[in-house]
Amino acid sequence: MLPTPHVSCDYDKVYEPSEDSFLILDALEKEQAFLRTYFRSKPTVVCEVGCGSGIVTTFMMQNDIPNEHAIYLPTDVNPWAMDSMVESASLNNCCTKMLSPIRTNLTSSIRPREIDFLVFNPPYVPAESVPYMPLDSEANEGDWLDLALLGGDDGMAITWKLLDSLDKIMAPGGIAYILFCARNHPEKVVKTMSTRGWKCELTEHRKAGWEVLSVYKFYR
Amino acid sequence: MKFLTSNFLKCSVRECDRSNENFPLKYNGEKCQLEQDESLEFNPEFLLRIIDRVDWSAVVSVAIDLGNSSLPSSKPEFTSEDLSDEDMIILKDLHTLLIKTNIVEGEMSCRNCGHIYYIKNSIPNLLLPPHLA
Ligand SMILES: [Zn+2]
Repeated sequence: MLPTPHVSCDYDKVYEPSEDSFLILDALEKEQAFLRTYFRSKPTVVCEVGCGSGIVTTFMMQNDIPNEHAIYLPTDVNPWAMDSMVESASLNNCCTKMLSPIRTNLTSSIRPREIDFLVFNPPYVPAESVPYMPLDSEANEGDWLDLALLGGDDGMAITWKLLDSLDKIMAPGGIAYILFCARNHPEKVVKTMSTRGWKCELTEHRKAGWEVLSVYKFYR
Repeated sequence: MKFLTSNFLKCSVRECDRSNENFPLKYNGEKCQLEQDESLEFNPEFLLRIIDRVDWSAVVSVAIDLGNSSLPSSKPEFTSEDLSDEDMIILKDLHTLLIKTNIVEGEMSCRNCGHIYYIKNSIPNLLLPPHLA
């Protein structure tokens, strides 16, 4: 088993690595050999959407996931997540990796069809609405945590935003790994995305307390 | 942010996606503070693949914004399997520019809508204010 990176950040401001984060690490570990063969020595643009503490991107950098020619461009809306990402990378001796975090909403400032490898642990908790994005000057610490957690209708409002433009986001041959909880109805997602021509595969799933979490892989 | 990152960044404003002017962003050379990151080792194989992948005219344009007008207008080609000494010099230069150069502080704007984005502490902020998001 690959070691879990050390992270230490202020969990009043940044989402604390939890069962969902660890399930993604396990899914990536399981896929590691496949990904090496799949991408070979192609230069890969890797984007973790909503990197939070940076645990997942750090894990990928430590283990050359998806391959050793990766350019890591993690994104988050939370300014504190940017700091944590950089700190987690340095705490785990990843300073020789090509890492350049970007503060943005999902992938909205990354050129279309450039991302070869995408990982997304979305705000998946069903809620009446998605919290609005605060101005930095007006934000309370808890606002950023709410944004990392609450996903509106079925907890899918944000995830659908990404899935609906997946064609435009991903480079040809790109692969996306996305986490769901059972209340997101991932089986419905699979149905819709399949009709759009995406192959959808369950990579990893686990019961975590009341939740059943799963990671699906989307590719063409 | 790395110089190389500029090759992937466009304006976040959705309407600008319909224009060809939303990439590359225009870097304000006077406001940009550069640093060389020595921790990234020279890896010719990686660099060759990166060069193959990048939008060269955007590399040239951002380099000019930042005060470096020494790049050729067309992408350098490396034909043979064995790299010549001359190739190695070019690759090392490009390693310095694309991989080692870090924009620590700075600002850049969209050529289409003019929106200004800032880089602080090496992190570009492309989040839009609520009225543009
Ligand atoms: Zn614009």
